[in-house]
Amino acid sequence: MPTTRAAGEPALRRRGAAPDRSMTWRDRLHRFDVRYVPYLLIAPFFLLFLVFGLFPMVFNAVVALRHWRLDQPDLTGWAGTENFRRLFTDGDFGNALYNTFGIFLLSTIPQLLLALVVASMLNRRLRGQTWWRVSALLPYITPITASTLVFNVFFARDLGMANWALGLVGIGTENPIDWRADKLHSWIAIATMVNWKWVGYHALLFLAAMQSIPRDVYEASALDGAGPWRQLWRITVPMIRPVLIFSVVLSTIGGLQLFTEPMLFDLNAQAATGGSGGEWQTVAQLIYRVGWKDLNLGYAAAMSWALFLIILVVAALNTALTNRMSGGRR
Amino acid sequence: MKRSTPRWLRVAAVALAVGSLVVACSGRSTTGGTGGDGQVTLTINFWGDFGLQELKTRYEAEHSNVRIALNSGEYNAQHEDLQKKLIAGSGAPDIAAIDEGFMVQFRSQADQFVNLLDRGAGKYESNYLPWKWKQSLSADGRTQIALGTDVGGLAMCYRTDLFAAAGLPTDRDQVSALWPTWDDFLTVGQRYVAQTNRKFLDNATNLFNPILGQQPVGFYDSEERLLMAGGPKVAFDYAVKAADLGLSANLTSFQADWDKGFTNGSFAVLTCPAWMLGHIQNTAPGTEGKWDIAAVPGGGGNWGGSFLTVPKQGKNIDEAYKFLEWLIQPEQQIEVFKTVGNLPSQPGLYTDPAIADFKNEFFNSAPVGQIFPKMAEGLTPQYLGRKNGPTRVAVENVINRVQNGTLKSDAAWAEAIKEAEKASR
Repeated sequence: MPTTRAAGEPALRRRGAAPDRSMTWRDRLHRFDVRYVPYLLIAPFFLLFLVFGLFPMVFNAVVALRHWRLDQPDLTGWAGTENFRRLFTDGDFGNALYNTFGIFLLSTIPQLLLALVVASMLNRRLRGQTWWRVSALLPYITPITASTLVFNVFFARDLGMANWALGLVGIGTENPIDWRADKLHSWIAIATMVNWKWVGYHALLFLAAMQSIPRDVYEASALDGAGPWRQLWRITVPMIRPVLIFSVVLSTIGGLQLFTEPMLFDLNAQAATGGSGGEWQTVAQLIYRVGWKDLNLGYAAAMSWALFLIILVVAALNTALTNRMSGGRR
Repeated sequence: MKRSTPRWLRVAAVALAVGSLVVACSGRSTTGGTGGDGQVTLTINFWGDFGLQELKTRYEAEHSNVRIALNSGEYNAQHEDLQKKLIAGSGAPDIAAIDEGFMVQFRSQADQFVNLLDRGAGKYESNYLPWKWKQSLSADGRTQIALGTDVGGLAMCYRTDLFAAAGLPTDRDQVSALWPTWDDFLTVGQRYVAQTNRKFLDNATNLFNPILGQQPVGFYDSEERLLMAGGPKVAFDYAVKAADLGLSANLTSFQADWDKGFTNGSFAVLTCPAWMLGHIQNTAPGTEGKWDIAAVPGGGGNWGGSFLTVPKQGKNIDEAYKFLEWLIQPEQQIEVFKTVGNLPSQPGLYTDPAIADFKNEFFNSAPVGQIFPKMAEGLTPQYLGRKNGPTRVAVENVINRVQNGTLKSDAAWAEAIKEAEKASR
C-alpha cells in the first residue's frame, strides 16, 4: 500500500490548477506556446472579421429598423418593421427579385452541368493536359469589369457580334435583337457573361474531386457495360458530392448577389436602373439604387437583410436538393 | 532558441493584428489641399466639355502656385456625387459645376456654398442675363451660390450630305423654312425616312427635351407641384409620335453607339443647344463641313446651361474664387465659345465682334455667333423644380421603352405619369 500511495501523489499534484513550484520558466513558456499561441495566431482574422464582417452586419440591422434618408436629415427615427413591411408591397423589389431568380436559373444550372462535362473531359488522358486545364481557368482570372465591357460590345444591337453570328443562321436579319429591350434577351446576355466566367472555375473544383475517385471503380463499371454518360451520373457525381454541394452553395450566393454584370450591361451604368424599364435590375442593384441614388439608407438596409435571409433559405434548399439528387442520405 | 521562437511569433501575431487594424482605420487621404511649398491643387468637377483644357494650362502658367485638376464625369452622376458630399460634410471639389436642371435642388441648400456676394461677385450682376443671374440666387436674394457659365439656346443641327441624298434642301435658311412647327418637322422626317430608308432622329428623348424647354411650364410649377398634363404632355406626345413613325434611331445619348452615329449617318438631325456643338466636333472630327445649323421648330427655347459653385467644404476657397472670377471674364468666355461652342451667359459679349462675327467652320461656316445669342436673349426661362433631374430621367426611360417596342404607345402616357410621380417623391 505505501508504494502505490507514494506513486499517486505526484500525479495528483500535476493535475492541480496551482502552478507547480518545480516548473521551470522554460516549461511555462512551453505551456503558453501550446495553449495560447494558436489563439493569437488566428486572432487577426477574427479581429478583422469583427470590424469588417460582424459589425457592418449588426449595424446594418440597426439601420434597417430606422428611418434614414440622407436627403431628409430630420427623419432619423425609429421605424420598427416599417421598412420590412414596405418590401412586401414594393413592385420594384418584386421585379428585382424576379429578375435575380430568372438570371440565377439561367446561369447556375447550365453552368454547373457544363462544368461537370468539362471536368469529366479534363479528367481523361489528354495531350497538353495542363494547357487545357489552365485555359479553363482563364475566364475566372479576367476581371469582371473588363470582360463585361467586352460583352457589352458583343451584345450591341446594331453592330454586335452576337447578332452577326445569329444572322449567319438566319435569326434576326430583318430586325436585329435588341438585347437590352426585354427581360428574356437581357437575362440570356447576362447569364452568358456569368457562365463564361464561372464554368472553368467549377470545372477545376470538380476535376480535383474526380481525381480522388479510384480508377478501378470505373474499370469495374466498364466491365459491367456502363458507358461514359452512365459512369458520369452513377459513379462520378455521387462520389464528388461534397464538392458538388460546395459549388451549388457558392453559386447560389454569387448568383443571388449578382451586381457587376447587370450594372455594367446598362448603357448608362450610373443610372443603376437595369434597363429603361428595370428589365434586368437585380436585387443587389436595387439596393445600390435605393441607398445611393434615392439616398434612403434605412430601406436599402432592410432590403439587404431580406436578401441575406433569402440566400440562406435558397442555399439550404439547394443543398438538400443536390444532396438528394446525387444519391446522398436524406 | 526554444524561448525566442514563441516570443517573436507572439509579437508578430499581435503586431499583425494591430497593424492591420490601424491601416484599415486610417482612411484619411492626404492628397489635395495645400502642400508644404505653397502649392495649391484646385479640383473642378463637371461633365462633358467645358472648354477648360487650354484655359487650365494658361492659368497655371500665370499662377505658378496653382495646379488645376479637371475631373469630368457623367452628367447625372456628378450632381448626385456632389449631393452626397454635401450631406457627408466632406469630399466636395473646390469648384463644382451644376446644370440648370439641378440648380433649384442645390440653391435650397445655399448654406453649403460660399456666398459669392460676400466675395464681391455682386459687381457682375449687370453683366448677366437677368434670368440666368436669378436662377442661382437664393429666394431671399441674399445668397448667390454660383456664377453662370453658358446658356443652352436651341437650334437644329443637320447633315447636309444626307439631306441632299434625300432630295431635301441643304441651305440653312431653306431648311429652317421646312419646319416652322414641330408637326412640320415630323412630316419632313417621314419624307426623309421614305426616301432613304434610314432614321431621321438620333433619339426621341432628344425631341422631348427641347420641346419641353419651349413650354411655359415644365415638370414643376414654382410651388413644386408636378404638372404632367401641361408642358410634359405636349413634349411627350411629339416624342412618342416620332417613335411610332419610325423616325428615331433609338440611340442613347452620350453612349458609344450614339457617338458612332455622328460619323456613320445613323441619323440626319439632332437638336443642338450651343453646348452640343463641342461634342459633335470632338466625337466626329471626320464629318467637318458636312454639318450645318438651322432654326429649331416652334421658336426659341432653352436646353441646359451651367453654373460654377464653390462648396464651403472645399480646402482652397480663396484660390477657387480667384480662378472662378478669372474664368467668367469676357476673354475666357469668348475663348470657350470659340473652342467648344458654349454660349456665354453675359449678353454684353454677344455684340462683341469676336462672337457676333464668329462663323464655325466645322458646321459649314454657320454664323453661330448670330444664331444662338438671338435665342438666348428673347427667352423667358422655365422654373425647374427640385426633383427636375430624376423626373426627367424617369420620363426619358418611358420614352425609351416605347422606342424599343416593349411599351405600347397608347399605354405610355399613363406609365410616364406613374414613373414621374415616383421620381418626384
